[in-house]
Amino acid sequence: MESTDQGIDSLILGIDVGSTTVKATVVNPKNKEILWSDYQRHHTKQAEKVLELLVAIGNQFSEIPQQNIRAFITGSGAGPIAEHIGAKFVQEVNAVTMAVEQLHPDVGSVIELGGQDAKIIIFKENEETGNKQALTSMNDKCASGTGATIDKCMIKAGMPMEEVGRLHFDDSKLHHVAAKCGVFAETDIVNLVKSGIPSAEIMCSLADAIVMQNLSVLTRGNTLRHRVLLLGGPNTYLPFLQECWRKRIPQTWQERGYDYPKDMPIEELIFVPDNSQYYAAYGAVMYGMHEPVGVGNYTGLEGLKEFIAHGRKAKLGEKAGPPLMRSETEQEEFRRAYSIPKFTPATFTSGQKVRAVIGLDGGSTSSKAVLVDESGDILLKEYQLSKGNPLEDTKEMLKRLRDRVSEQGAELEIIGFGATGYAADVLEKTLKADVNIVETVAHMMSAVNQFGDVDVICDIGGQDIKVLFMKNGDIRNFRLSNQCSAGNGMLLQAMADQFGIPVQEYAQTAFKADLSPTFSYGCAVFLDADRVNFQKEGYSKEELLAGLALVLPKNVWQYVVQIPRMSELGRKFVLQGGTQYNLAAVKAQVDYIKQRVPDAEVYVHPHPGEAGAIGAAMETLRVVKRRGYSTFLGLESAINLSYISRNDESTRCTFCPNHCSRTFIDSETPDGQTARYISGFICEKGTVEDKEAVIQLTKKRQELKKHYPNLVEYEAVRMYQHFYDAEPLPEPDVLVEDVQVKRSLLGGIRKKSYQRPFQRSSPAEMERRSKIRIGIPRVLNIWSTAPFWRTYFETLGVDKNNIVFSDFTSEEMWQEGGKYGSIDPCYPSKVNQAHIHNLLFKHHEKKPLDYIFFPCITHIPTHLQNVMDSASCPIVAGAPNVIKAAFTKEINFFETRGVAYLDPAVTFTELHLMKKQLFEAFRDCLHMTEDESDFAVQQGWKAMVLFDAEMQERGKMILEQVEQENRIALLMIGRPYHSDPGLNHGVLEEFQVLGYPILSMRSIPKDEEWLRRFFQDDLESGRVDCALEVRDVWPENFSSNSVQKVWAAKFAARHPNVAVLDLSSFKCGHDAPTYGLIDSIISTAGTPYSALHDIDANKPSGSIKIRVKTYAHSLGLHEERLHDLAQKKAELQQRIEQKRLELTGLQAKRQTDSYEQTNFSQMGN
Amino acid sequence: MSTRKDLPTNHETELSSYENDLLRFQAEQELALGLEQAKRTQWFDPVPRQFFMKDKATTTILFGGLTMAHDFLVEGVLKGLGYKVQHMDCPDNESLRFGKEFGNRGQCNPTYFTVGNLIKYLHHLRDVEGKSKEEIVSSYLFITSGSCGPCRFGTYVTEYRKALRDAGFDGFRVLLFQQQDGLKQATGGESALKLDTSFFVGFLKAVLLGDILNAVAYRIRPYEVETGSTDAAMARCKQILYDALKHRKWLIPALIKCRKELESIQVDRTLVKPKVSIIGEFWAMTTEGDGNYQLQRFLEQEGAEVEVQSMTAWILYLIWEGRYDTRKRMKLRGEDSGRYGLEGKNAGSRLRMLFLADRAIRVMFQTYAKTIGLADYHLPDMDEIAEVSHEHYNNHLRGGEGHMEVGKLILNVAKKKVNMTLSVKPFGCMPSSGVSDGVQSLITEKYPDAIFLPIETTGDGAINVYSRVQMMLFKAKQAAQKEFDEALSKKDLTLEQLRNVRSSKCTHPLRASRHVVACTAANVVYGMSGFFNRYSLRRNKAEVKGV
Repeated sequence: MESTDQGIDSLILGIDVGSTTVKATVVNPKNKEILWSDYQRHHTKQAEKVLELLVAIGNQFSEIPQQNIRAFITGSGAGPIAEHIGAKFVQEVNAVTMAVEQLHPDVGSVIELGGQDAKIIIFKENEETGNKQALTSMNDKCASGTGATIDKCMIKAGMPMEEVGRLHFDDSKLHHVAAKCGVFAETDIVNLVKSGIPSAEIMCSLADAIVMQNLSVLTRGNTLRHRVLLLGGPNTYLPFLQECWRKRIPQTWQERGYDYPKDMPIEELIFVPDNSQYYAAYGAVMYGMHEPVGVGNYTGLEGLKEFIAHGRKAKLGEKAGPPLMRSETEQEEFRRAYSIPKFTPATFTSGQKVRAVIGLDGGSTSSKAVLVDESGDILLKEYQLSKGNPLEDTKEMLKRLRDRVSEQGAELEIIGFGATGYAADVLEKTLKADVNIVETVAHMMSAVNQFGDVDVICDIGGQDIKVLFMKNGDIRNFRLSNQCSAGNGMLLQAMADQFGIPVQEYAQTAFKADLSPTFSYGCAVFLDADRVNFQKEGYSKEELLAGLALVLPKNVWQYVVQIPRMSELGRKFVLQGGTQYNLAAVKAQVDYIKQRVPDAEVYVHPHPGEAGAIGAAMETLRVVKRRGYSTFLGLESAINLSYISRNDESTRCTFCPNHCSRTFIDSETPDGQTARYISGFICEKGTVEDKEAVIQLTKKRQELKKHYPNLVEYEAVRMYQHFYDAEPLPEPDVLVEDVQVKRSLLGGIRKKSYQRPFQRSSPAEMERRSKIRIGIPRVLNIWSTAPFWRTYFETLGVDKNNIVFSDFTSEEMWQEGGKYGSIDPCYPSKVNQAHIHNLLFKHHEKKPLDYIFFPCITHIPTHLQNVMDSASCPIVAGAPNVIKAAFTKEINFFETRGVAYLDPAVTFTELHLMKKQLFEAFRDCLHMTEDESDFAVQQGWKAMVLFDAEMQERGKMILEQVEQENRIALLMIGRPYHSDPGLNHGVLEEFQVLGYPILSMRSIPKDEEWLRRFFQDDLESGRVDCALEVRDVWPENFSSNSVQKVWAAKFAARHPNVAVLDLSSFKCGHDAPTYGLIDSIISTAGTPYSALHDIDANKPSGSIKIRVKTYAHSLGLHEERLHDLAQKKAELQQRIEQKRLELTGLQAKRQTDSYEQTNFSQMGN
Repeated sequence: MSTRKDLPTNHETELSSYENDLLRFQAEQELALGLEQAKRTQWFDPVPRQFFMKDKATTTILFGGLTMAHDFLVEGVLKGLGYKVQHMDCPDNESLRFGKEFGNRGQCNPTYFTVGNLIKYLHHLRDVEGKSKEEIVSSYLFITSGSCGPCRFGTYVTEYRKALRDAGFDGFRVLLFQQQDGLKQATGGESALKLDTSFFVGFLKAVLLGDILNAVAYRIRPYEVETGSTDAAMARCKQILYDALKHRKWLIPALIKCRKELESIQVDRTLVKPKVSIIGEFWAMTTEGDGNYQLQRFLEQEGAEVEVQSMTAWILYLIWEGRYDTRKRMKLRGEDSGRYGLEGKNAGSRLRMLFLADRAIRVMFQTYAKTIGLADYHLPDMDEIAEVSHEHYNNHLRGGEGHMEVGKLILNVAKKKVNMTLSVKPFGCMPSSGVSDGVQSLITEKYPDAIFLPIETTGDGAINVYSRVQMMLFKAKQAAQKEFDEALSKKDLTLEQLRNVRSSKCTHPLRASRHVVACTAANVVYGMSGFFNRYSLRRNKAEVKGV
C-alpha cells in the first residue's frame, strides 16, 4: 500500500498501537487518500516499533517538512507514547467509528475483536431528526471472547494455525464452552481435549460460544443493524468465525423480528473489508481532521528515543512495590532454608526382593506415582503429563516403576495399591485398588505423615488451590479455590512461557528484580490484563515475574481462604503442591505468612508434587496392614491390562439435552470381566451406557433419596403445588369492617370505622376470571412467596390450572432465553430473562397466557424478631423493572404476543399497604372488588402459614430423629432461590445419596419453646430476648434473607447434629457482609461446614466432586465423634447412677426418708 | 426443681452437700471422659459504642468519606462544638488494598475504600506514630453515617467491626450517625456526643456550604484563564468558612469575603465545553480520589465542564422518601405497625414537618448560595424526578439512589441540562449496576440523543475506564459544538464577533446565563440577545458587502 504522490505538502499520520501489533498509515489531508501504510507485531516493544515505523515514514516522505506533519495515535498502548511524538491521543472506538463512517456510510453495525478487547458499534437513526447516532460498547474487565482467548484455546486444542485458517464452521457437533470468561473457556477446552473431542469440533464450539457471548452481552440488549462489518484479527483471519457470525446474527434478527434485506447475499450482509487492520489508524486521521490546527503537531523522533532510553524506568519507581529478594545474603539464606532437597531414588541390589506399595495421584493435568516400602520410605517417583486416558497413564508409570527395579536385578513385589485424584474411581474399578481417597485427604495424610501435628496445609497445584485447616491430626475445615481464581501454578507457568523462560529458572529470574509491579489479585484474566498494562509501562520481565510471585499469596489467603487473622489458624504451616518447586512462589508465601504470623514455622514438603500420591501410599500401607491382604490386581496384570477406548456417535450421551460427547474405556480384567470407564460427561446420567441402565441408576438414586429425605427438594416442588383449598369468597350479606377517611382542616387524616356488607363482583366477572391465565416466573422472591400468589389468584376464582409457573432453571433454558439482558448481575437475577422467555415462548405457545405477573417485592416476610427491617435485596426487588426494560426496549415482546406484563410493587411486611397495592395492581385486569382482593390476601397468608407449618413439622421430625440416632443432618443455608435445582447445581442430592438427610432453612422449627433448649445460654445471658433473633451477632440486620441465613447458621452452631452447607451465588452483594459473620459463628462452635460460593451459570463438576468427597470425609468423622460422645455420655450416666447409689446408700444408713430419695433421683438428670 | 423449695431447711443443707458431691463427681467424670471439650462455645459480636463525657477532651473523632470540601468543613463544625476532630484523607488505592485484605470478599468497593482508609490510618498511628493498640483504641473513635438501605451500605458498620477486629484493633469504637435515628448509642445518658439542634444545624451548614463551594468551583474551573487560580481561590474560601464555623461566627460576612475571592478569578466562557453530569452511586460519584479514578478531574482535563450532584440533594431525597411513604399509607383501611407503618404516628404532622424541613433547607441553601455568588443554581425537584421515573423504576423500590438515577437521566436529556451523563458506580453495585443500568438501556432507547455512559469502578483498570469516557466525551464534544454553532447562527454572530464583544457574561466568574441548552458557551451566546443581535446584524451586512 505505498504510493508517493508528488505535489503533496502536508501529511497526517495515523498510528494504532494495539496489544500485539502496531499499524501506521500516512494520509494526504487534501483528499483523504492513504499514501503509505504498514503493520508489524511489536512483541511488547511498542515504543521501539513505533519508532521503527516513524523512521520508515521519515525516509519515505523526506521532502515534507516536519512542521507540516500532524500525528494522531490510537489503540490500547498509545497513551504513554503520544506525548513523546507530539501526537494527539484518539480513543480507538472513536477512531474506528470515524473510519467506518468515512469508508462505509451504509454500514449499520461493526463488530471488532481485538487482542484484549471487543467492541461493538451500532449506528442508530433517530427517527425524528434523522441523525445517526453511534451506540458504542466495549467489553469491560471480564475479557471474554477476544483474540487472546482464541489464541490460548487454539494452542490448547492443538490445532496448527494453517489448519485453523482452513477450518469451516459446522454447528452439528457443538460442545459446551463457557465464553463468559477466558479462564472458564480454557478450562472447558482442556476438558474437551481430554475427552478426545476432535479439535475442529472444539474450535467451532469456541467460535459459537464467543459469538453468542458477544451477541448476548456486548450488544447490551441491542439488536445489530445491517450491514454488519467484521473487524479485528480473529474476524479477519478465521473464516470459521466469520461463518459463525453469518449463521448466528440472522438468527437473532429472526428471533427479534428485525427486518433485514433477505435478498442480499449473506457475505455482503455480514462482511470483512480489505485492509481492515488499518481502520483504527485511518480513523485516527479522520478524527484529526476535525481537530483545530495546532493539535497533534508532530515533534519528531527525539522525544521518543529519549523515552525509550530513559523515560520509562524513571516513571516506574513511583508506584512500584518492593522486590522479592532484597540482598544476596538474604537469597543465600533463603535458598539454604527452603530449597527442596534433591530426591535420590533408592538403589537396589541384584536379587533383592522389594516389598512396597504404590500410591498414585491421577490429576487432571498430570499423574504422579510413588513406590513406598513397608517402613514408609519413598523409593521411587514417577511423573507423567496426562494423555487424556488415565488407564494408559497408569500403565505406563507402573511399567516404568517395575523396569527401574528390575533393571537393577531386583524383584518388585507390590503389596498394595492406592489411588487418589480424578482418576481414582476408574483405577479402583479396573485395578481393584486398595484405597481410593479424595485428593484433600491424601494431601492431609502426606503432610501429617511428614510433619506430625501441623496447623495449616496449603497445596498449590497447577489448576487449583487447596488449603486445609487441621485440628488433632485431622481436617477441621478446608477451602478450595473455585473455578474463578486461577491465580495458581498454571499462571506462573504460563507467564514464564510468555517470556521464554523455563519455569525452573523462574525464581532465579524473579530474584534479580529490584522492584515489582503491584498486581491486583484475583482472576487470572485480570492479572493478565494487568501484566499487559505493566509491560506497556516498561516493567522488565524480571520485575513482572517477581510481581506475579508476590500476588500468589494474596490470591491464596485473601481470595481463596479469606481469613485475615492468620495467627488464629495456628503457627505450623506446610506448603506443598508442584508450585513449591518454584522458590519465588515459596519466598512470597513465606514472607507473607511470617509478616502476619511472626512466630510461624513454615515448611515445604520435601516431595511437594507427589504429596497426594504419598498420602495414598501411606493410607494403602495402613489399610493393607490392617486388613492383612491386598485387593490389587497385581503389577503384571495391571501393566498388561487391555482396554478399548471409544469416542464416536455411539458413545454420545443422550439422556439429557447436554448431549455430552463421552469416551468409553472398556478394560478386560483377568477374571474375564469388563470394566467400563466413561469420561467426558458433566452429569450423573453420563455414567451409564443405555436406557436400561439409566432407569437402574435413577431407581437406585430414587431409592436412596426416599430413604434420606431432602427437604430442599421437597420444598421446591411443594411450594408451587396447589395444597390448600381456599375458603370461598364471603356472600354479599356478610358484614365487614371498613373505615371512612376524612381530611381535617390542617391536612391531617381522621378515620372512622363502620360496618357494611361485603361487596362482591358480578358472577359474570367471576366466570371471566376463571378463564384468565397468569404466568409467574419461578425466580427470586417468588421462592419465598409462591403459596401466597397461587392462593390469592385461586381465591379470586382463577382456575388452579391457569396459574402457570415457569420451569425450574436449567442450562437448556438459559441457553435459549438468556439473550435479552443489558446488564450482568448475579446469575439468579440474570436468569429471570430466561424464565420470562420460557413463559412467553414455551408456555404461552402451548396455551396462551393473558398476564405475566412478576412483582417487585420490596419486603418479604420474616420469622425473626427485633430486626431493623425485612427488606429484599435491591436487585431482587428491582429485577421485574429490569425485565420490563429488556423485553420492551426495541420490540415490545409482551405486546406483540398479546400478553400483559404486570410488575407492581408489593410489600409483605405491612398487611394493609399490601392489600391496597394488590387491589390497585389487579383491579383493572381481574375486575374484582377491593373486599374480594383483601379476602384473597388473607387466604394467601393462610396458605403461607400452612406451608411453613408443614415444612417445620417435617424438619422437626428429622432433627429429632438424627439426634436420637446420633446421626447428622445437613442444613442448606442460602437464599430461598437456592432451592432451585438449576441454581444449586444439584449439589444437595450428592449428599442425600451419601445418606445425609437434607434440611432447608424453612424447615427448622420456629417454635420458641422447641428452640429454647438450644438457645438457653443466650437467653439467660440476656444477649437476646428470644431465640429467633440475631442482634447478638449482627445488629445491622436489614436484609431479610441475609438475616435468615445468619440465624440458620446460629441454629446450626447450637444443634449438635446439624452440619452446614453454605451456598452463595457469584456477585451476591448481600452475602458478602455475612461471610465473616457466618464463619465466626460456625467455626467458634466447631460445627461441620462446607461452602459452595460463587455459584454461577455453569456447573463446576470437578470442584463440586472434590468438595463433596472431602466434606463427606469430615462428616463421617464427625458422626463417629457423635457416636463416641453418645457412648461416653451413657457411660457418664452409668457412673453417676452408680455414685448416686453409693451416696444414697451411705445416706440411707443415717436417715431413711423415702420422700427425699425420690427427689434426689431427679437431680441427676 | 420447684419441689426443692418446699423442703424443710434442715433437709436442704443435707441435700446440697449430697448434690454438691454428685455434681463434683459429675464434673470429674466429665473431665475424665473428655466430655468437657465437647461443649460448644458460641460467638457473639461485642459492639463497642460508648463515648463518655469524661473522655471528650482526650478522644479524637475521626471522620471522612464525603467530598474534601465537606470533610474539611464538618471538621470545622465539630471543632466549634468542642470536639477533638481529625478528618481523614481521601481514600486511595492503598486504602483499597487494606480494605480488601481485612474486609469480606465480594464487598463493593466503597466499603473497601472507606473501611480500608480507616485501617490504613490506624496502621499509620501504630506503625509510624508509634502509638500502642490500647492507646489508639482508647483515644480515637470513628464516626460514619449509617443507613437503613436495603443494599450493602446498610451493613457498613458490620464491615468496619470485622475489619477492625481482623486488623488487630478489637474494641475500636465506630459510632453510627444514623440517617433517621440520630446517633445510636447503647449506653444513652452520659454520651459525650450531643446530638442536639446545634449539632444538626452545624452539620447541615457544613453540607450546604460544601455543596455550594463545589458547585461554584466546577462552574468556574473549566473556564479559568489562569490555570490553578480557581483551586487557589477555593482553598482560601474553604479556610474562611472553616474558621467561621470553628469559631461559630456569623456566616454571611464570611460568605461575602469568599465572594470577593471568587470574583478575582478570570474566566473565558466562550470556550466550548461539553457539560457532563456525573450521577450514579452516592459514594462513587462523590469521592474525588482513586475510588472513581478522579473522574471529575479527568473530565475537566479532557475539556469538559463537570456537574456534580450535591449532598443536599441526598438529604432532600431522604425527606422525599418520608413524605412519599407517609402519603402512600395515609388512607389505608387500617394502620400497619413496623418501621414504615403509621400505627401510633401522626401522619399529618409528619408530612408538615417534612415539608417544612424541605423548605428550610432550600431557603438556607439559596441564601448562602446567593451570598457567595452562586447564581441560578437549582436544587432538584424530588417530586419531578420521582414522577418521570416511576413508570420505569418503581418509586417503592429503594436502595442506593433508587429511582433517582433514571429520573436524573430522563431530565438531563429531556430538559437539555447536560451534553452527557456519566453514571459511575462500584463494580457490582446492587441498585445501580444491578437495576438502574438495566432500566437505563430502555431510557437511552427512548431518547436516542442521550449520551449516556455507565461505568463500574473496581479500583484498577483506570486506563480502560478513561478510554471509555473519552469515547463518549468525543460525542459530547460534538454535541456541545453543535449547540454552540446553532446558537451563533440563531443570533447571527460569528465566533470572532463573540470574542471581540467580551461581555461580562463571558468574563465574570460568577455570572451565569439563562439555561437554554446544555453547553455553557452556547448559553452565553443565547444570553446576548437583543442588543448584540442588532449590532451583529449590521456587522454581518458590512462584512458581506466587504466580500
